Amino acid sequence: MIEERTLIDDLKQVETQEKAFEVLVNTYKERLYWHIRRIVLNHDDADDVLQNTFIKVYKNIANFKGDSKLYSWMYRIATNESLSFLKSKSKKMGISSIALQETLLNNLESDVYFEGDEIQLKLQKAIATLPEKQKLVFNMKYFDEMNYEEISEILETSVGALKASYHLASKKIETYIKVN
Amino acid sequence: MNKVNKNSGFKLPENYLENFNDSLLDKISSQEEIKLPNKDGFVVPKDYFNTLHKNFSDKLEDTPTKVTPLKFYKKYYYSAIAAAAIVLLFAGINLNKTADYSIDDIANSDIDSYIDYTDLNFSSYEIAEVVPVGNLNITDILDAGINEENIIDYLEYDLDSFNELNLDSYDY
Repeated sequence: MIEERTLIDDLKQVETQEKAFEVLVNTYKERLYWHIRRIVLNHDDADDVLQNTFIKVYKNIANFKGDSKLYSWMYRIATNESLSFLKSKSKKMGISSIALQETLLNNLESDVYFEGDEIQLKLQKAIATLPEKQKLVFNMKYFDEMNYEEISEILETSVGALKASYHLASKKIETYIKVN
Repeated sequence: MNKVNKNSGFKLPENYLENFNDSLLDKISSQEEIKLPNKDGFVVPKDYFNTLHKNFSDKLEDTPTKVTPLKFYKKYYYSAIAAAAIVLLFAGINLNKTADYSIDDIANSDIDSYIDYTDLNFSSYEIAEVVPVGNLNITDILDAGINEENIIDYLEYDLDSFNELNLDSYDY
């Protein structure tokens, strides 16, 4: 894997930018995709958001100061783009964000790009009931298997608060699955 | 020995032994740890990741950069400052008719500095007249934010009931 400092320098220079951007996309596309997908649920929406994320990264790389890891910065952009996308989608449809989540979950059962069984579907429904922050923390810790320090850098939240969020999220999910 | 058992004085609740197995199974299920699946079930179209980069190279040339203001409330301060500046300009024009100033002559950086370093002393009513509160977040007002560990400590030690928080929904 190309050294991060070198990649950032190449991204900031016109002569090396295009090639460096291709390396950046190939290196991070899958991880970012799955993070986005778990927020927006639908593949086509995840594809749109992923592309918007990389475009934003490309256009703003000159402003990247390096005070966090490049991946953390990109992950943060992907998170914000995903959440903005959902807000925008609910406004366009004229429904609340909770109603949009319900619609997206109902569509999941018939989604060709969802091959989960009953318990996996129930898990997604349980996750959807969580407050936004808890949802993000749970997905990043449980599915992405990130450590708290990495999540802290991305969400700009203390490790202690993240641990509390994850604990609360896990308890709520277990209760939801038991009751439903 | 039998005489001792019969005369022990202990008694069982009605139907205890008949219902015991069911009660035991209920207790075991309630304590059973829920095993969550470690995969989420999502899949992607064939070759999606292999063709991704080609698909959005064109978009890079066309998409304008959207600038997100960091502190949106500043535009309302700009309105207030602009109004004050216009009043001053008119006063200046009346006093010195040869000067030719406009609001554009005041650089945004000067307005920023004025807002940051001057005690504007707007009352909360004056601010409320121009700032729409419907879309406000705590981060629009507080630069530093509130330490989340402090919030957790407050919830744990200072709160008697969650009703005190006046929470309506999780949609925030």
